[in-house]
Amino acid sequence: MPDRARLVVGVDIGNSTTEACLAAVAPDRTVSYLGTDLTRTTGVKGTPDNTDGVLTAVRGALRRAGRAAAELDAVLLNEATPVISGLAMETITETIITESTMIGHNPATPGGQGLGVGTTVSLTELDEIDPGPPVVCVVPHGWDFEDIASTVNAAVGRGVDVVAAVLAGDDAVLVANRLTRPVPVVDEVAAVEKVPLGMLAAVEVAAAGYTIRTLSNTYGLATVFGLDPDQTRHVSPVARALTGNRSAVVVRTPSGDVTDRRIPVGTLELRGSGKTLRVDLATGAEEIMDAVARAQPLEDAHGEPGTHVGGMLAQVRDTMADVVGQDGEEAGSPVEIAINDVLAVDTFVPAEVRGGLAGEMHLENAVALAAMVSTSRSRMRSVAERVAEELGVATLIGGVEGKMAVRGALTTPGVDRPVAVLDLGGGSTDAAELDREGRDTAVHVAGAGELVTKLIDSELALDDREVAENIKRSPLAKVESFFHVRHEDGTVQFFDEPLPSHVFARVVTLAPEGPTPIPTRHGLDHVRQIRREAKRRVFVVNAVRALRQVAAGGNLRTLDFVVLLGGSALDFEIPEMIADALAGYGIVCGTGNVLGTEGPRNAVASGLVAAHAAAAP
Amino acid sequence: MTHSDPGSRPAVVVHVRPGAPERVLREICAGAEEEGVPTRVVTVPGRSAGEQDGSMRSTGEHDVTALAHAAAASSRLDVGIAVDAVGAAAVHHGKLPAQRPVTTVETDATVADWRRVGRTAARIVKGLPLS
Ligand SMILES: Nc1ncnc2c1ncn2[C@@H]1O[C@H](COP(=O)(O)OP(=O)(O)O)[C@@H](O)[C@H]1O
Ligand SMILES: [Mg+2]
Repeated sequence: MPDRARLVVGVDIGNSTTEACLAAVAPDRTVSYLGTDLTRTTGVKGTPDNTDGVLTAVRGALRRAGRAAAELDAVLLNEATPVISGLAMETITETIITESTMIGHNPATPGGQGLGVGTTVSLTELDEIDPGPPVVCVVPHGWDFEDIASTVNAAVGRGVDVVAAVLAGDDAVLVANRLTRPVPVVDEVAAVEKVPLGMLAAVEVAAAGYTIRTLSNTYGLATVFGLDPDQTRHVSPVARALTGNRSAVVVRTPSGDVTDRRIPVGTLELRGSGKTLRVDLATGAEEIMDAVARAQPLEDAHGEPGTHVGGMLAQVRDTMADVVGQDGEEAGSPVEIAINDVLAVDTFVPAEVRGGLAGEMHLENAVALAAMVSTSRSRMRSVAERVAEELGVATLIGGVEGKMAVRGALTTPGVDRPVAVLDLGGGSTDAAELDREGRDTAVHVAGAGELVTKLIDSELALDDREVAENIKRSPLAKVESFFHVRHEDGTVQFFDEPLPSHVFARVVTLAPEGPTPIPTRHGLDHVRQIRREAKRRVFVVNAVRALRQVAAGGNLRTLDFVVLLGGSALDFEIPEMIADALAGYGIVCGTGNVLGTEGPRNAVASGLVAAHAAAAP
Repeated sequence: MTHSDPGSRPAVVVHVRPGAPERVLREICAGAEEEGVPTRVVTVPGRSAGEQDGSMRSTGEHDVTALAHAAAASSRLDVGIAVDAVGAAAVHHGKLPAQRPVTTVETDATVADWRRVGRTAARIVKGLPLS
């Protein structure tokens, strides 16, 4: 038995974060924790590139404790089997307008109200038209609102029956205010020159606070255009695309055709429990997850080449092959690379309608997939060698991370065996269980914080990962004046300094440096719902999935304590969503507080120290 | 466009210096009208540089900002616009500090810029994002 305390540091290399825990282990094996640190993981988890991050975290923990690297007796690394995750999105539906038949955007300020049905005529030809059947006036770019109004008024004065107008510029209210005979006016039609002339068109503007009634109703369209049942069937996607708008234009062109078709997205092939299952991605998340459940334990998965999902699965496989295959054939068995888990989530992507005239967006159905690839070979030994070299300290590879996480979680006040942990990370959600007898099991399932961020990003059409990450991490607020915001829970916060004009009336996230506007036309409630749904579909689903795999007999009721760990357990609402979902199984669930001070962080690193102390000679 | 009865109707108040370009004023008012918010134009004679020396130069950013703040103070909607003699413009809110206008445009602005000035003023009233 050594006659002095040994200084050791446990290091957990995660997909996103590397954490360190420094402790002194006394001769009687009691552990005094001295300091912790965390930093971004450098390189792909489980590869020699991790060394830099390890050194940063170790030095950070030493600095905080006021100790020097020379005093260290050992560095303890987790046995990190590389598990990398990939994400892909496959759109299932697509709305295409093959001929210009509808304008379904929502200009902020349409003019007039009601429904006008007539033949399209350019404003430039209005003075040559004889009185006759009703006409819809189409106004090209560059016309001034007073000139538009006086030209229309002159035609109406001659007896021409102008029943509606469609404008390029943002002038609908200005024009409508100057018409001698009021008609509905739709504006901001960017591609107004593509509106076919000489065709029957319907223009509808709803009263303030209402949405259109006729053009968003299939039979309304049938009535307006005198369609037979077969034509009516074809026009129904138009009605659906226009639902919820305050204004719309539909032009009947002979070849006009909107198709709402299912795109062939290919199949997913799942191999496991002695069978091979094929599932069509277009059937959606529920069917896919059903198949994944039937193929448990999943041995491998392939996607159809040429599809996004096929590409994604091939790419994670290749990345892993590169990562573990670098130093050629090591002694022993050949490298095995397999996809062990897949999570499918139903989502939608706002996509520009092909053939739309005003940049119309339509929500298309999509499936998002997270996959996890792992390998039989760990390269932690080469990481350990490099760390030992750099620090001049013996570096040992300690236990498997899930099992270490449980030990770390047990340092949370109020927690006892049997205990299960859920490590909510960036790429994967990991579960581990330690029973009364000290037996432990651990699993990884695909999909975690990164997938939530990605869903928020695409469903709000942000195309900005950083904004999406902000939305995920903080509650929303609406700027209600230059001096106050209303938080999503209804509370109001005042500011001494006026808020900048670019956030006025916007939905914002409140960062320490001030409100950041979310670039969307959607209201706070919509953004909030997308945020919460994304978290629920990933983390609540995965919590149940992962715990079933570690619970005895797959029965959640056998679990008592569940401790939430990892970066995503810092989230302001994910822990309560999971706790709500598990409450029905009689499970006590809460966010961990490792060492009584670290919150959900540092469980694996402190678990490594605890395991090392317990096993010390 | 009269201002004989200031208390009559809630409106965005537009203060203009004598000689303010007609087309600038027209587009600004159109910007607010498209948003459905009324404007009330008030001509405010001032000791502007342009009048003093007969030249047509701007009386300065400071003047148009102060003028917009005064316009906002006299608006029942707390929102004001100012246009100076050479067509520089500013939008202001009555509760904001005088030196912190919501937006300003220079004399070399375009039709789209002037429309935006009117639209911005109207959107403050409506509580909608300004851009
Ligand atoms: N304060 C926070 N609120 C919500 N999510 C967070 C917070 N901090 C980190 N995360 C999320 O945690 C995830 C990373 O978790 P982490 O445990 O560091 O990953 P890993 O164990 O895979 O290295 C990321 O998706 C990140 O967005
Ligand atoms: Mg408009």
